[in-house]
Amino acid sequence: MGQEEDLELYRSRLLESLNGRSSRSLRNASDPIQVYINERRVGELEGRGIGATLQVQCVDHIDTVQLRTEEGILLGGLAAPEQGFRTDRLRLSVDTIELCVHNTAQGGTLSALFSPAPSFWGRVWKGIVDVTDRLTARRPDTAIAYGGAYGMRTVAFTQALLAIAVVGLVADRATIWMTPEPTPSPVVQTASLPASPPAETARLEQQLDEVARMQAKIGEALASQQNGIVQLHQAVAKLSSTQESVASSVVMVKEEVKEEVKEELEKRLEAVGRETDRTTRHVANKGRIEQEQLEAAIHSLTADNDRLSKEVAGLEENNQSLKAKLQTAVANVPKSADPSPERLLKMADSMQGNQQPFLFWVTFSEGTSQESIDQWVNGMKGHKGALNEGWQEVRIIPPPVPPDRFLEQIRGEKIIKAARINQ
Amino acid sequence: MQLTGMQNTLGKSQSMSDRTATVSRLEEVVSTSEEFDRIVSQALPMLLDRATGYTKRFLRETGQWNDDIEHEKFALRWGAEYLERFLVCGRSEVPCRPLFLFDSLVAKQHSKPEPFCYHPDLLRPLGRFVDGLVARAVVSRDALIAIYHHSYGWGPGEVIAVTGLNGLESQRIYKNFRRWRDTGWQRTMDEMGMTKAELAELGNQQQRHRQRFNSEAEQLIRVAQAHYRKSEPDHYPCLSRSQWGEMFTQGYGCDYRIWHLALCLDCMQTAWGLGSSGSAVGEKPRLELQVRP
Ligand SMILES: [Zn+2]
Ligand SMILES: [Zn+2]
Repeated sequence: MGQEEDLELYRSRLLESLNGRSSRSLRNASDPIQVYINERRVGELEGRGIGATLQVQCVDHIDTVQLRTEEGILLGGLAAPEQGFRTDRLRLSVDTIELCVHNTAQGGTLSALFSPAPSFWGRVWKGIVDVTDRLTARRPDTAIAYGGAYGMRTVAFTQALLAIAVVGLVADRATIWMTPEPTPSPVVQTASLPASPPAETARLEQQLDEVARMQAKIGEALASQQNGIVQLHQAVAKLSSTQESVASSVVMVKEEVKEEVKEELEKRLEAVGRETDRTTRHVANKGRIEQEQLEAAIHSLTADNDRLSKEVAGLEENNQSLKAKLQTAVANVPKSADPSPERLLKMADSMQGNQQPFLFWVTFSEGTSQESIDQWVNGMKGHKGALNEGWQEVRIIPPPVPPDRFLEQIRGEKIIKAARINQ
Repeated sequence: MQLTGMQNTLGKSQSMSDRTATVSRLEEVVSTSEEFDRIVSQALPMLLDRATGYTKRFLRETGQWNDDIEHEKFALRWGAEYLERFLVCGRSEVPCRPLFLFDSLVAKQHSKPEPFCYHPDLLRPLGRFVDGLVARAVVSRDALIAIYHHSYGWGPGEVIAVTGLNGLESQRIYKNFRRWRDTGWQRTMDEMGMTKAELAELGNQQQRHRQRFNSEAEQLIRVAQAHYRKSEPDHYPCLSRSQWGEMFTQGYGCDYRIWHLALCLDCMQTAWGLGSSGSAVGEKPRLELQVRP
């Protein structure tokens, strides 16, 4: 082949792939979306679950934001102005991602919010909470017959935790980048807007509106997730207050509960599947969404269902290890001792495989160099998070001592001027 | 207007007048994203040639140009890269004049300190293969994971063991491998302009002059990694053995491990053996470039 032909072939291939961009925008719904700022990877956005959010604060201005699949396909993005806001809503088949970039003299902030096809996960979430409620409240008689209700309840709770963890609704599970809302309120942002000619005002107002709406949505999503977590905590509190002993038959009881949880989950899955069919038909009748999007919706819902069933299998596996751990725990507890529910809870936590990071804020002594700050953070095996009015957010794996003690400890260090938990 | 020798002579006058019309449409203001998509998608060939022309000029002015097909391909590849970014990000800039926006986007890229990884050796087939692979790893997790395979010949199980991943992350690695084999590798080869003949020739060299092939590949991959590692999150520096050790034993920094170890031959040596918990640790891995996925 001649060189010119080779080159011409290459050129037409590149054009073809640029042309085909829009038709390949279909995405496997369960894969996370890779987020890039100024062509540098900053994290990922869970491509499922209600209201997954990603917030990134940069020292530099944000010029561009790009979203890509794991294959590297550019799904969308935006270019941001030097100063002020830019918001955009990207549609990925049936899901949407809302992006908001805010550039100031101090740097840039990106907020991204993922909203899946309407209310699918909301139903799954509610379903799981229902199961938890029922299992924690139920059948004390049988349990007593086995020699102690509490072991069983604890186990049921552990199961619920696992279920929630695998379904992926615990918001900041693995991503160190997700932070709960350090965004200033829209009102404050108005003040920092650059002065603009009247013609611009309308557009800015509209953008502000969008910002406010998006923040409200992030708030809602977080609230709904936190609500679930609060309910679980309440369940634990109830357990702890009545906990007396772990019966030697705990493993036997657990076996039974395990079956029950599994059955419930499977029932749920079926129900979700039926709902899915109904939703899909409904959507089809309305004819609002085009064929391609519809196919993507079905694909993504089936994939999610598929994944859920796999994760039920995964639960089963986790159960085996839970069983082993409980057996060891029971064996290690002197029969007369009073094993605390906290210990079981910790076991449940450790079974989730990933601890939530511990966040705190510090300011550094005058004249501390960036290098020694980095060294200090590295020394703690930590990551730097947001920077806000001189306060640096730091994430570490949870310290072995209580938070107050931990803060006392680091306040004693030369490099630290002040430390606190909340922003 | 720069026209390259590859244009079909018969179609030239036709395409000249088409182009004038396209250009003037692109100079007008578009006010919605949909309009932007429509106007721009009709002008892809012209925009590709324009970006390629700018890139050539940049290479000439910085003393990095040579009149050969390798350089032509390099300029085309980056032209296409810029155009793709323009298609995606430009639509958020409405109202705008697309052509001016496009020119300023390319100019902005070229005003960066090192807009791309240029090295004469990276333009030859082996270099292009390596450059394409590492460049792709920056934007694609599939390609990133594939680097472990192409550098050391590992399968998913080995990648999981070496990087010390947990269950959830492991599933993802299998998926990454599958997609890379199915489509990712071929797409990357196409986008780098690797021909079947070139790939076959690389396979040949690998068979016949294994050592020379691998030591050349190692030099090239070091050049490429040093350039593209800048796209890692900036808190992912090289670490000492004990720092890696802590990360592995305490099970944090999953992304850190995956990203950095794929893009740093030295740290792979440093961290070798930390991940394969308990199992016998073999010799430190040596670069054994694999051409096929
Ligand atoms: Zn903002
Ligand atoms: Zn390194």
